[in-house]
Amino acid sequence: MVDKITVEVIKNAAIYTSEEMGIVLRNTAYSPNIKDRLDHSCAILAPTGEIVAQAEHIPVHLGSMSIGVVNTVRTLKKLGKNLNPGDIVIVNDPYIAGTHLNDILAMKPVYYDGRLIAIVANKAHHVDVGGSVPGSIGGKVTELLQEGIVIPPVKIVKDGRLDTEILRLIESNVRTPRYFEGDLRAQIASLNVGEKRILDLAKKYGSFALLEAWSEILDYTERYTRRLLEDLGIQGSFHARDYLELEDKLVNIDVSITFDKDKLTVDFAGTHPQVDYPINAVYGVTVAATAYALKSVLDPEMPMNQGFLRVVEIKAPEGSLVNPVKPAPVSGGNVETSQRIADVVLRALAEALPDKVPAASCGSMNNIMIGGIIGDGQTWAFYETIGCGTGGRPCCDGVDAVHTNMTNTLNTPIEILEAEYPILFTRYEIRSSSGGQGKYRGGNGIIRGIKILSDKTTVSIVGERCRTRPWGLRGGMPGQPAIYMVRYKDGRTKILPSKATIQLGEGDEIIIMTAGGGGYGDPCKREQYLIEKDLEEGRIDEEWIKTLRSNCVGRGQNTYPESS
Amino acid sequence: MAIIGIDVGGTFTDLVLFNKESGVLEHLKVLTTPKEPVIGIMNAIEQAIDDLAKVDTIIHASTIGTNMFLGQIGIEPPKVALITNEGFIDIIEIGRQNRPELYNLFFSKPKPLVSRNHRVGVRGRIDKNGNIIENLDKEQLSRKVDDLCKEGIKVFAVSFLHSYKNPVHEIEAEKIIKDKCPDAIIVLSHRIDPEPMEYERTSTTVVNAVLKPVLSKYLDDLENTLRSSGFRGKLLIMQSSGGVSHIAEALEKPAMFIESGPSAGAVAVAFFSQLMSIEKALGFDMGGTTAKASSVIKGVPEITTMYEVGGKVHMGRLVRGSGYPVRFPYIDLAEVSAGGGTIAWIDKGGALRVGPISAGADPGPACYGLGGKDPTITDANLVLGRLPTKLAGARLLLSKELAEKAIRRLAGQLGLSVEETAWSIITIANTIMSKALRLVSVEKGHDPREFSMFAFGGAGPLHAVEIARDLGISSVIVPPRPGVFSALGLLVTDYKHSFTYPIVKQVDELSEDYLEKIFQELEEKANRILEEEGIPWTRRVFRRYIEAKYWGQGYTLLVPYYPNIRKIVETFHYIHKNRYGFMNYEEEVVIVVARLDAIGVTVKPRFPRRKRYEPHHVKPQTQRLVYFEDGWKLSNIYRTEYLEPGSLIKGPAIIEAPDSTIVVPERYEALLDNLGAFHISEV
Repeated sequence: MVDKITVEVIKNAAIYTSEEMGIVLRNTAYSPNIKDRLDHSCAILAPTGEIVAQAEHIPVHLGSMSIGVVNTVRTLKKLGKNLNPGDIVIVNDPYIAGTHLNDILAMKPVYYDGRLIAIVANKAHHVDVGGSVPGSIGGKVTELLQEGIVIPPVKIVKDGRLDTEILRLIESNVRTPRYFEGDLRAQIASLNVGEKRILDLAKKYGSFALLEAWSEILDYTERYTRRLLEDLGIQGSFHARDYLELEDKLVNIDVSITFDKDKLTVDFAGTHPQVDYPINAVYGVTVAATAYALKSVLDPEMPMNQGFLRVVEIKAPEGSLVNPVKPAPVSGGNVETSQRIADVVLRALAEALPDKVPAASCGSMNNIMIGGIIGDGQTWAFYETIGCGTGGRPCCDGVDAVHTNMTNTLNTPIEILEAEYPILFTRYEIRSSSGGQGKYRGGNGIIRGIKILSDKTTVSIVGERCRTRPWGLRGGMPGQPAIYMVRYKDGRTKILPSKATIQLGEGDEIIIMTAGGGGYGDPCKREQYLIEKDLEEGRIDEEWIKTLRSNCVGRGQNTYPESS
Repeated sequence: MAIIGIDVGGTFTDLVLFNKESGVLEHLKVLTTPKEPVIGIMNAIEQAIDDLAKVDTIIHASTIGTNMFLGQIGIEPPKVALITNEGFIDIIEIGRQNRPELYNLFFSKPKPLVSRNHRVGVRGRIDKNGNIIENLDKEQLSRKVDDLCKEGIKVFAVSFLHSYKNPVHEIEAEKIIKDKCPDAIIVLSHRIDPEPMEYERTSTTVVNAVLKPVLSKYLDDLENTLRSSGFRGKLLIMQSSGGVSHIAEALEKPAMFIESGPSAGAVAVAFFSQLMSIEKALGFDMGGTTAKASSVIKGVPEITTMYEVGGKVHMGRLVRGSGYPVRFPYIDLAEVSAGGGTIAWIDKGGALRVGPISAGADPGPACYGLGGKDPTITDANLVLGRLPTKLAGARLLLSKELAEKAIRRLAGQLGLSVEETAWSIITIANTIMSKALRLVSVEKGHDPREFSMFAFGGAGPLHAVEIARDLGISSVIVPPRPGVFSALGLLVTDYKHSFTYPIVKQVDELSEDYLEKIFQELEEKANRILEEEGIPWTRRVFRRYIEAKYWGQGYTLLVPYYPNIRKIVETFHYIHKNRYGFMNYEEEVVIVVARLDAIGVTVKPRFPRRKRYEPHHVKPQTQRLVYFEDGWKLSNIYRTEYLEPGSLIKGPAIIEAPDSTIVVPERYEALLDNLGAFHISEV
């Protein structure tokens, strides 16, 4: 039996290894999406596919990694294939890998003395994987195959040798092959470093100690989570509903969260069936978003792995928006639907733990994909997400202009983007007065303007909260909705829906105004000095104050001074 | 004559004095006077020496800037205006758009250094190639500067998009500000940090602008006070890169000063590793609340340019977005929350954890008897017999009983004995500290087995040998006066200035002549500065480097320069393979930056060495039971005052020095050399 302390030492070493894998991946990657935005995650898994260590990068990757690895190993087994030493498998089929086609999951088995002792894995968002629109997200697609190349589990590296045939096949199907190869090599380098470090651990402690440590890590998480729930002492069920925008319709996501002593059930029964539109979220995404919301509210220190899922059951009806079946398109599921799943779970938790949940954040990653063909026929593609406002909180205002909930990628510097792509930025600033009113206001969104410098450019937007608004809590008002628009070269403007693909030419400008967070608490109770400070700094305008006042009047509890 | 080094920390001001004639090194500590640090400095000096005329050099380091940013001292940052492109005023606040904590719904971002109403956007735009696509609206700018000036703003940071390609708008803005606001302090982004990435450059500019008036007043005060007290020597300012410079130079880049205190330890390692002819050294500095690791190759501490002032550190790594980025060369220190006062506890899953909370100096570890109830690393060391109950240099008696009582609480929950629990605390703390050492070695592509470890700080030598064994390091050196070693670094620094020139071209577009010309230009610049600092030709050293990457990558690697491009490329492939495990001969190599480090070598204090010694075994002063990996061992206890060069001590043993305690496990032996350092290695 391996002792507790050795387990702790192995656990720490495994966490360090996953972090180091992340750094190697970042430092050697080619596309701004990874090297600048850090849209990637790394983990160490037990041979059974359970995560035992992970570097905290992107919540949506981490929650889905294990499902991806388990599915991949199972799929290979069905084909009679084994994971051999020196193999690296890649896969992006969302129904196996657990997110969307852009995320390439790569994994490598670690063998010691002929025994499989761990799997090292990483997931990176490749800027383009083909399909109908540059950036491979969004567009008017109705099935998975229109979203890009679907890679089933294949051995891209066999016995240490890169299979250039497979690489060429994939590269012929993507718009930015040189980036694809550079980023894939970075993923491979990261796995090799991970393997090396795990082997060092095995040499030191022996393979049995490692295997036992992995299983103890999961047991530990289970104990931790049960203890946490017991300490909270909540009983009962809590429900919430929220919506996604689909053309002129709204589609609902429902959740019921049931606390029962040391167990928790999250059930999405009642959620809208899957749709022929790229906003379905595969089960891996649903698990990731639910786990994120629970961890953030219950205990940010809580460890996350299958030990947690032994205590928390996540039920999602098959064929629904939150657990679709093939061939439903899914590219927006992990970026937008994941945000709404987090929102709806947080909303239900706000009933159970009123002091621990803020009003809604903007509820979108505000995805922009731009690409096209430049002069000599070369294709290009660029992807970014834009931050927004977080919801007002029981303690204080929401935060202006920041990434919320399911994403935390960095922006790519404007100077880097302008140097690499035919675009020119026209604005990047805080969207004043967009935060919802309340005792504590919601955070303001962002305004970002991009002028296109090349003809034959395709722009896709996958956003949310243009028609619905981020909700307020305890009397707080909702945040301002997002506005996505085009200003054509000739001065005409056009407001776009939350999901759109358009053709633009040289001189046209796209303007994104992201939503503000919801307000928290009675707007009448907002302190005067906060109003004055916001006004002085231009974070709100006179109009905002006027509305605040009108929201107050009629409630008969006007503490807001009329004189201001 | 004497040299004085002074390090003003948040709580204590440390002073080291080296008497050049007698070779005696003195050290003392006084309380920092946060509101007026100069008072604390003068208190220390008065205690150390009767006549400042006997001092020819004072070297000053401080964490004062950081503490100001953290709001820990009485200095209010001055109001600063930021002049930038219209439509982009919030880049300084949006930063990289991420939040510093992933799962904390109650997070906050660092308070913006420029209030939003003092951020001024002006029409005018330069593109990626440096072409002007819209002229600067001088009239608009004049009006806005006029308003700000009337409002009483005295400090202006100017940062326009792509100014590193074409600074013309920044220079025009400078003229307008000078015209409207003649006394203003102006910092231009292309002068302070001429590289792309607008947020990092703007932030570097703003941080420097905020610091400039504060630091210039502070250093003026300090110099005047010293002069009026009879000081006629040189006052030098320690930089976060590990070098020193004159006040005038320091004020050009004030952010270089703000974290200068902690870098002194790495400088001391650099100096002693050269003295001992050690090519690769790791510094391991463990104090009361944290442990720091650094690496030194061929006498040069390794540098990072990713630094955030006032930022938080999580498991040795800087948390991105938690502070204010400054893109200057800083000595690369990995810091973890593991010091003598770090608390051990049991979490919800029943796992034993160590840190990050520290009992600090008050109440301190349980064994201090000052009311601390939580078990700390120091308590664990005491219970295991690794620490004596009476520390040689201290007045304080440590209570083993209280330490045991604190640890017993955990032992009960873990189902372990008290000593097993204490040993577990040590083991987990060691794992955490190994992580810091791995960050500066393994993760930089170095093999720790090729390194010697310098262990210092009050607690470093207690843990060093066991950590070294974990990392495969075979040689541990405990330098003389380990408790003061870090401050010693102040006395042995050189003048150091770094210069960069952006290139960003593929190697086949470049010629050796072109690179040679760039370096010559940089050297001219360096010579001018070293000339002003009075460094003679014979004491100037220039180191040339190239920062290179594969096409498409975002991160560069530092390659020593050779006047042969093929050689540079080959070296790059080799370093890339070492660091990341692969190279790609078919890929284009891009040279991003030419970098010159210009060193003005100072005259160092000479540490007296007795000439010859023969290794010989010595008798212990006493014996006691000490707990090691495989249980209690009767161990020899030595006190340094009874030892002489050549003393050879076999483990298991404990060596008690006035300011530190050294643990020598079984199968290791320690040899005292003629510098006063112990060399510990496996038998």
